[in-house]
Amino acid sequence: MDDPLLIRSGLLSPVATAPMEVELEEPDTDEVTAEDRPWIVLVWNDPINLMSYVTLVLQKLFGYSLEKAEALMLDVHHKGRAVVSNGTKEKAELDVFRLHEHGLWATMQQD
Amino acid sequence: MIFGRRTIAPDGPDRFVLHLGTEERAVLRAVCQDLLSVLDDDEASPSLKRLFPKAHAADPEIDAAYQEMVHDDLLQSRREVLAAVADTAEQDELDRETLDQWMVGLNSVRLVLGTVLDVSEDEFPELSEDDPMLPAWAVYDFLGGIVDAAVRALAETLPDVD
Repeated sequence: MDDPLLIRSGLLSPVATAPMEVELEEPDTDEVTAEDRPWIVLVWNDPINLMSYVTLVLQKLFGYSLEKAEALMLDVHHKGRAVVSNGTKEKAELDVFRLHEHGLWATMQQD
Repeated sequence: MIFGRRTIAPDGPDRFVLHLGTEERAVLRAVCQDLLSVLDDDEASPSLKRLFPKAHAADPEIDAAYQEMVHDDLLQSRREVLAAVADTAEQDELDRETLDQWMVGLNSVRLVLGTVLDVSEDEFPELSEDDPMLPAWAVYDFLGGIVDAAVRALAETLPDVD
């Protein structure tokens, strides 16, 4: 459940954050094949965030049911990490950004 | 806080009544203003590392590019929620959006305090009455209670999914 407003506003595009550098951006052709592989977003266990908070953030950001969000939170808590979303690089970057906004310890990597 | 009454009581999905004392409100406002001033003055402070986490743990170069792309937006987002808490700390009730800002903003203060206190999964440490870190632990504990109260109030009024 991506926030259409965030996407429309170009919040995460280089254009929005560094408009003066747009012309310097060149596609890295060596990366094209690698770029096509899906990305996963991981949330890592941390001793500060409350379990109830992590569950609610996963419900809020991804529209997950309470059951799914709780299961992911418990995976994070007991196994140290869990995959909470996946998709294109752009989607993963947006998800990581929103998780970071909420103070969760999130990273992304190619599957 | 009055015994038996919820700190943050939902009254429908978009109205949340706050039962907080004057001193508690002053603490909430002060910690948010403190963090705002640290963000302005010493954004690179090690105690803020949890507010600007790595996105690409295994690749510093890709992570640096990501950080350059999002840093200003993340900083601005943090400032907005902290300012929202400071601005509404005296209110008797909050709408859903503002309570969400309280939850996220106070959680970010808690992340910084937890980093400074080097919090672990274990229970609270045994502290003597004159331990210089006692006030910080007390605020950390207090903020945990407020964040949890906000989470409960928001969670039980979430629209159904699935």
